Amino acid sequence: MTMTTKKTTLLNTVEYGVDARYNSQEEKQNDAQLLMQARKDRMARTSEQDIMRAKLMQLKLQIDEYLNSAESDVQHQFTSFLNTYINTIYEKQQQFAQDLDITPVSLSQILNNHREPKEEFFKKLMIHSERIFKAIKGFHKQSWYQVYYRDKINETMAHQDEWREELEKKIKFPAFS
Amino acid sequence: MNIIEVATSQSHLIEIAPVQKSDFKNLPVNRYFFDWNEEASFEIFKLTIKGKDDILGLISFERIPDEMRIHVRLLTASVENVGAAKIYDRIIGNLLAYVAKLAVRDFGEWACISLRPKTQIAQHYIDKYKMNITGVTLSLEVPEIFELIELYDHDN
Repeated sequence: MTMTTKKTTLLNTVEYGVDARYNSQEEKQNDAQLLMQARKDRMARTSEQDIMRAKLMQLKLQIDEYLNSAESDVQHQFTSFLNTYINTIYEKQQQFAQDLDITPVSLSQILNNHREPKEEFFKKLMIHSERIFKAIKGFHKQSWYQVYYRDKINETMAHQDEWREELEKKIKFPAFS
Repeated sequence: MNIIEVATSQSHLIEIAPVQKSDFKNLPVNRYFFDWNEEASFEIFKLTIKGKDDILGLISFERIPDEMRIHVRLLTASVENVGAAKIYDRIIGNLLAYVAKLAVRDFGEWACISLRPKTQIAQHYIDKYKMNITGVTLSLEVPEIFELIELYDHDN
């Protein structure tokens, strides 16, 4: 079989892949309108359970992305992700506070970055999210801790000019260094 | 994520990463079916076996945030991984699942990947990936998009 014949044969098989590029802007716009209407119709039939699953999967993927990224200028991601988590599951933050057996005031302070979460809060959050994320493959309950400490590292490194000079004066180094 | 070596049924962990400028010289049409240089202004991702450089599959796509979807433009496995004598299986599925994950991460419950295959192969994508058809466009949304992700997004 010649190379051309072989390629033509392969192009006729379903497995080689897809050329799905639009031929014109008009074609793209027409398809977009039709598709959006069909998606809205399908969304109207999508169950609440599937919508929540999608939101939780989105949160899990965003947490993964944060933990795997090299970005260091992002801060307060822990409270941002926690806010999303609570708002996905509950209508009111107070209900989450009740379920975690903490006061609404302390939850509010954590969410507004006015109070550091305690060890017990993390443990309760891990237990809670373990159950909630059960349907989402690959969620690690320790991710909350990892996000929190990643925030801490980012924050510390971003403010080196505020603490480094003062601390350097206090540090002694061995002679060989 | 992994691919399967057909002859041995052995599983190989894979990586999917953006194509670098230096990759373009190694993407000949006779191995990857399309002129990938034409796609340089779009996002292109390559599939390789973890720790190896050889590119086994490619996908280019356009994120359309206003419509909360990602449109797949070109998608292919390398020539030796196509047809009955292919060396590795699951290349196309992994590339689609990767883009599906990007769509869920960006658009949540509105996540959507779309493509517009030629008529003769549309049915294959409908059957294999449970894609919906609207006019000539195939798409995957919630909840079917979960199945694709779960089928491919694991390491064993």
